[in-house]
Amino acid sequence: MKRSYRGVIMLCVVLFLNVVCTQYAVNHYFHQKYELVLIFAVLNIILFPIALSIYKKEGKSK
Amino acid sequence: MEKDNGKNNKIPFDEDNYTHNIHKENERLLDRRGFMKTMVGAAGVFAISTLPWGGLAAKELMGFHTKSYAKKKIVDIASLSIGESAEFSYPSEHESALLIRLGENEYKAYQNACTHLKCPVFWNREEEKMVCPCHHGYFDAKTGKPTAGPPRRPLPEIAVVVENGAVIATGVKRYET
Repeated sequence: MKRSYRGVIMLCVVLFLNVVCTQYAVNHYFHQKYELVLIFAVLNIILFPIALSIYKKEGKSK
Repeated sequence: MEKDNGKNNKIPFDEDNYTHNIHKENERLLDRRGFMKTMVGAAGVFAISTLPWGGLAAKELMGFHTKSYAKKKIVDIASLSIGESAEFSYPSEHESALLIRLGENEYKAYQNACTHLKCPVFWNREEEKMVCPCHHGYFDAKTGKPTAGPPRRPLPEIAVVVENGAVIATGVKRYET
């Protein structure tokens, strides 16, 4: 059984982007830039289906 | 010893096998797929955790937050010459504030609790600065920004208008850091 760790790496990247977006959303909230908060919150939500699709594609061991 | 090679020595045996049911080494450890599943779950947690922030931001943008302040007369123009200041309280009686007449038609008002440790700030006419006597914090009268001493944040400004020979407070400006 040959494993591909591409999915793991891609999910690591997605999770890192999640951390970044959450951090920016919270910080922009305290700086009262509410448009930017909305942008980063939406980005963070969009990242979840991306993660799910990566898992579905890469989860099966080939 | 031979007679012991019955059912109980064969591992795994078919019946009553509750303990020796791991067929592969390290089977129970977190594998690649389980790890990826955890990561997707974490992404979901992140997505949900930003929802309240997004909601609060949307609420702010839609303008439900704008508080309305009652108008309040501070002082008559005639009783306040240029360079003088008057103390008042706004919006509630426990929030002391300071009105400064900087020019013929230039009035500035701030809530005068020092942004360091809430000591009342007063207007020093000779130095043309607002001074906090507790720890020698200085504020610029035109902007409310701290110029020296421990305070790092500006004083909250109060919006004022001149009507019928009197200075009237109309609201507290949004606090900008």
